[in-house]
Amino acid sequence: MPVVKAVPCPVCGSLCDDIELTIENGKIVKVKNGCAMCESKFLSHNSEHRILKPLIKRNGKLIEASFEEAAKKAAEILADANYPILYGWSSTNCEATRVGLELAEEIGGVIDNTAVICHGPSILSVQQVGIPSCTLGQIRHRADLVIYWGSNPWSSHPRHIERYTTFSEGRFQRSTWKRYLLKVKASIVRKKIESALRRVFFKKKPSTPRIGGLPPSMLREGRKLVVVDVRKTKSAEIADYFIQVEPCKDYELLQALRALIRDEEIDVDKVAGVPVENLEEVADLMIKCNFGILFFGVGLTMSEGKMRNIDAALSLVRDLNTRTKFAIMPMRGHFNVTGANTVFTWQTGYPYAVDFSLGYPRYNPGETSIMDILLNKESDATLVVASDPAANFPQKAVEHLVKNPLIVIDPHMNVTAQMADVIFPSAFVGIEESGTAYRMDHVPLPLKKVVNPPRDVLSDEEILRKILSEVRKLKEKKLVEVA
Amino acid sequence: MISLHPQKEFVFPIIAEGINPDVFQDKNRGEIEELEIWEGNKQKKLGELFKVKETGTEPQQEDIAIVIYGDLSRVRRIGAWMKGGEITINGNVGMHLGEEMEGGKITVHGSVGGWAGSMMKGGIIEIHGNASHYLGAAYRGSSQGMNGGRIIVHGNVGYEAGAYMRKGLMKIYGSVGQFAGFRMHNGTIYIQKDCEGRVGACMKNGKIVVAGFLESVLPTFTIESIRKKVKIGEDDVAEGPFYRFLGDLTENGNGKLYVLKEENPHLSTYERLL
Repeated sequence: MPVVKAVPCPVCGSLCDDIELTIENGKIVKVKNGCAMCESKFLSHNSEHRILKPLIKRNGKLIEASFEEAAKKAAEILADANYPILYGWSSTNCEATRVGLELAEEIGGVIDNTAVICHGPSILSVQQVGIPSCTLGQIRHRADLVIYWGSNPWSSHPRHIERYTTFSEGRFQRSTWKRYLLKVKASIVRKKIESALRRVFFKKKPSTPRIGGLPPSMLREGRKLVVVDVRKTKSAEIADYFIQVEPCKDYELLQALRALIRDEEIDVDKVAGVPVENLEEVADLMIKCNFGILFFGVGLTMSEGKMRNIDAALSLVRDLNTRTKFAIMPMRGHFNVTGANTVFTWQTGYPYAVDFSLGYPRYNPGETSIMDILLNKESDATLVVASDPAANFPQKAVEHLVKNPLIVIDPHMNVTAQMADVIFPSAFVGIEESGTAYRMDHVPLPLKKVVNPPRDVLSDEEILRKILSEVRKLKEKKLVEVA
Repeated sequence: MISLHPQKEFVFPIIAEGINPDVFQDKNRGEIEELEIWEGNKQKKLGELFKVKETGTEPQQEDIAIVIYGDLSRVRRIGAWMKGGEITINGNVGMHLGEEMEGGKITVHGSVGGWAGSMMKGGIIEIHGNASHYLGAAYRGSSQGMNGGRIIVHGNVGYEAGAYMRKGLMKIYGSVGQFAGFRMHNGTIYIQKDCEGRVGACMKNGKIVVAGFLESVLPTFTIESIRKKVKIGEDDVAEGPFYRFLGDLTENGNGKLYVLKEENPHLSTYERLL
């Protein structure tokens, strides 16, 4: 059976490129090196939920149609619209996104990607403050202090810790995997002893609250992992030090750390539920490290304060760079959301929420972002590519989304597709279609085509090119009529 | 005086930079009706969307007065870059009202959308209803907020009022959301009612006065003194006593944050540091 090696995984922003796939009779039968999400995507891409033919809604029912017919229908909807929106783009390749931007310009629409509901605030702050960043390779080999803030990589990016941070074996930094195993074993033994003591003396579980000071693991040499979150996640359990911040108080904590790094005095005893003496120790730890990295997730971007939380985090890292070497990186979700931002930027100058309605690109999240447009009920047609907004947008936004003509390009019959007027089946990017995707550290990686798509199923790029050509034909026809 | 009445209920965003006294100057009714305006992605004439009426004095007068009636909550950029004249809006109005205006006066008898008076350099905006987020703030990516003039709001205001403010006066007689005066460099913000918090975050200079309830002061502000009263603008004084905080320490700031003592007994813990 043929084995394809070094396949990039099209699931999360880590874009692990060491996956090995075993192919049998044109189907993937075995996945090696991948996490549970990776395995699930590669093995079940050909599930029963797959769409195999273009569909058009007629009399409230989705009816099979030819590709040409569906493309014409989609083009008519988009060309006639006064304020259409084109959304998705983070789970497809850069080549398709490029055509999508061309289409948005042609129809005078608003084009937005999924960054708007995850790391959009990060981008706004990066534009305001700047970002001292690096590649994941540098982190793997050099970082001796790793901080995850508002992120739970153990669940969201399962191989991030193993491949790029504390559990990875770097050239200059050793993996802390064994230390973690010892910690787990010690914890099990401690729990057993405590349980035995409880049974013998019929006492309640002894509470051993630690007041102030860093745990002994933080005083050791080598890599250290710190997690800051509102609850003790699985990532927090494996961390050397966990800071539990009060919900929606991240901004205060970040600002307090900034002040401490500048050797300023703080008037209060606790910030965001954390004693100031602990924060002083964390600030010392940050200053004393040789290469620190702060990863932040949607726990920071989407909690109260949003872009200003990121403003504070970026400013903290900027301040730290006056004392040591420190970098910061957003934990991007979809495998090519960074690519979507990159293509948007080099095509239009703006990374998301780009409005072409006046004939030139404009950008103002809050005004030209899909969520605001839907909640203000301003759009009159939507094209969704490789996304499922109906499953995760607020109800009011979805109500307006489905009230107007909706076109979906997706391999699966997802919630949005079920409510669509025109549906195009597409090939899975990274499995049935090659292309380019950007990892969370802005490193572009070539995606592989390992199996063929089902018969007559085209790629996102080909479908979009066809719609674009139909839109152009309609516009030419209209011009001739006017003339 | 020119009066405008919407011809229909607007569905798509209207970009109406043309509704500006400087643009209307020296134009008769017919010429005003021919002005370009955007509805969604379609270019229209002003006359297609608004009924234009001339009333009272001749339009050729030095300072043109425009009065608009109806719901304009989807109409954006009215009075943007205006240098003189007067606009009165009887109804709600959309985003970017009076953006980068340099002079004249805009009065709204209703509520306004986001970015009202953003980056304004002069003139007066008076809002008798509520104002949304980014009142007098900077455009995305810019660090130049309001740089002069006055904004008076009789209702409540959203987040980030006066962000990146450099000069001017903002008087808010209602409550405000978070991050009022974010990264402000100078100028004065007066808030008569409650403030959601994070006020003056990263401010470098300037003055913010909170005469209502403030849940907490950022840890990066330090108490300096208690003042009996504070001067607001050139001719107004707010009676205290007020706690006076200095900050933001993270930016080596020398901004002054005044919080009314009477409304904020929970801040009395700071008094031990005086």
